Amino acid sequence: MLDRNIILVIPVAKMSEEGNQIEEFEQIDFLKDRHVRFFQRSLQVLPERYSSLETTRLTIVFFALSGLDVLDALHVIDKDNMIEWIYSLQVLPTEDESNMQRCGFRGSSHIGLPYSSKGPGMAHPYDSGHIAMTYTGLASLLLLGDDLSRVNKRACLTGLKALQLEDGSFYAVPEGSENDMRFIYCAACICYMLDDWSGMDIHKAIEYIRRSMSYDNGIGQGAGLESHGGSTFCAVASLRLMGRLEETLSERELDRIRRWCIMRQQTGFHGRPNKPVDTCYSFWVGATLELLDVFQYTNYEKNRNYILSTQDRLVGGFAKWPDSHPDPLHAYFGLCGLSLLGEPELMKVHPALNVTQRAFQHLQQLQQAWRDNVSSCT
Amino acid sequence: FEWSDLEPVPQDDGPNPVVKIAYSEKFTDVFDYFRALLKNDEKSERAFTLTAEAIELNAANYTVWHYRRVLLQALEKDLRQEMRYITAIIEEQPKNYQVWHHRRMVVEWLSDPSEELEFIADILSQDAKNYHAWQHRQWVIQEYKLWDSELEFVERLLEEDVRNNSAWNQRHFVISHTTGYSDPAILDREVQYCLCQIRKAPHNESVWNYLKGILQDRGLSSHPGLLERVLELKETQCSPYLLAFLVDSYEDALETNNTRATLNQAQEVCALLAQVKDTIRREYWLFLGRSLESKYGPTAAPQSDAASSDAADQQELS
Repeated sequence: MLDRNIILVIPVAKMSEEGNQIEEFEQIDFLKDRHVRFFQRSLQVLPERYSSLETTRLTIVFFALSGLDVLDALHVIDKDNMIEWIYSLQVLPTEDESNMQRCGFRGSSHIGLPYSSKGPGMAHPYDSGHIAMTYTGLASLLLLGDDLSRVNKRACLTGLKALQLEDGSFYAVPEGSENDMRFIYCAACICYMLDDWSGMDIHKAIEYIRRSMSYDNGIGQGAGLESHGGSTFCAVASLRLMGRLEETLSERELDRIRRWCIMRQQTGFHGRPNKPVDTCYSFWVGATLELLDVFQYTNYEKNRNYILSTQDRLVGGFAKWPDSHPDPLHAYFGLCGLSLLGEPELMKVHPALNVTQRAFQHLQQLQQAWRDNVSSCT
Repeated sequence: FEWSDLEPVPQDDGPNPVVKIAYSEKFTDVFDYFRALLKNDEKSERAFTLTAEAIELNAANYTVWHYRRVLLQALEKDLRQEMRYITAIIEEQPKNYQVWHHRRMVVEWLSDPSEELEFIADILSQDAKNYHAWQHRQWVIQEYKLWDSELEFVERLLEEDVRNNSAWNQRHFVISHTTGYSDPAILDREVQYCLCQIRKAPHNESVWNYLKGILQDRGLSSHPGLLERVLELKETQCSPYLLAFLVDSYEDALETNNTRATLNQAQEVCALLAQVKDTIRREYWLFLGRSLESKYGPTAAPQSDAASSDAADQQELS
């Protein structure tokens, strides 16, 4: 059995500038320390060219923190400071609770409220949570070891419920936005973490998922839309979190989704037929295959080699393609892709909740304690 | 505009900011004043003008877009002009969620989709697989019933790139919402169209997915003569997708008529895929072979429905 860690270079056919095929050597060793430093830097200061990420900064925090968790390197950051900052993003109910339907977590302080990591909420005409920030906020608190005791669960769930549409899908914000499978996944994660499904109409969400199944057996962002690795993950992972995967999809349907997903492997994975591969799909599609028990039948070597070919050897992190700039999202999902492959230095990732197994176990302990508290009070 | 009456509102990340973005003075200024307007919910021309400046700096800020929409209505702004504005922004940033959502809102307010198909076609001419563009296109077509020339549009795109999976998806979208696939003449037309495209470009997952997709719920082995055509194509225009289609056709046949001969044919193709034609999925094809054997082979447990217990009676044991 070949120890793949001994092989540090592999021959790869490349096109030279003159247009003829030459052989190069690609380095495929995993640079753990670089990635730790990459995430550390992401958590500090980003240059102005990242301004489009302002309203989604909390998701970047999640990628960095969960990435460090997967690298088993959370010790490099100040967890308490991080927890405080995350709680400052919670949209809490005002004294008169008139904003309950807008509660959740913000992506950043961009609205301009004064910093406050404890309640009560401050009235502001345009302050509301964002479903993806509520999801990543809760997940980040969890993986930092927080007990969620300062989360106003009732407010979060009220805010969540207000985002669900008639067709079962969700808006991101109460003011309105696009609606698609991404936000169903966010909603499912929120309910799962808070152990409370009153935040959504599960039946309607399941119907939306079913209607998003494509003729080609993948799942799109919505009915009629092209099947896509990201939305397929969101759908399958949501059903798994709801505990409804096997009852919603027949064995035949599951087999068909398995086939669609497994056909996404080219070297690494792409997200749609006839599109180029991209590192992040090693997680989106890989995790879906894992949830469907067939990831074991993929080609590990080709997948690993592709992910590592997108590794930035200088600054750390991963990019979607080789010789491209790394970013926190691809760095995180590249790592998760490697974790699915059993990369030795990495923690295992829960394929539905997208946090380490360790964070997941912490959640289970918390939820047990919540249930014990409830039963000891009644 | 006069701004001196307004107290700018800075961002406050507290003592230990995380993922802090280092903004220039200009950037900070624009948004500090934006935050001030937001807090007062000011509905004015200067607010409207500032949203455009904020959008130019960060078109992904959904709060700015929402506020702009509030102002568009409160100030009764010219929505035709807004259409021109959003057209220009989307051309510059066609992969941004907020700009497409904004366009949809303006189209809804105007109840005027008349520019949409041409606009989206232009965006698709720059990136024929832009998911936002296709999503907006499907919304417009379905909402305003603009089905009439869409199949023609799809065919044009497929002529340009027969491997455009988004175009194949759109083909299914149009037909399933107009004529449907129940009419045998339509179904056969589509099957013939697929076979024609396969001959031209055999290594194309999209066309095979489409072919399988339109037939699988009726039964892949139900379309007369198709299996024979596929077996012919196997000789000169083989591909992993053709072979997968074959396996699925054999499995479909096994469901109603479980014979060792058919099972062997399926196994042969699985082996061909695993060993020669689709080795990256070797383990999967071997797994599929084992599943088929276990479902339809001599040791298979009796199946529950009537059709297959008849099949079990007919099963020839090797």
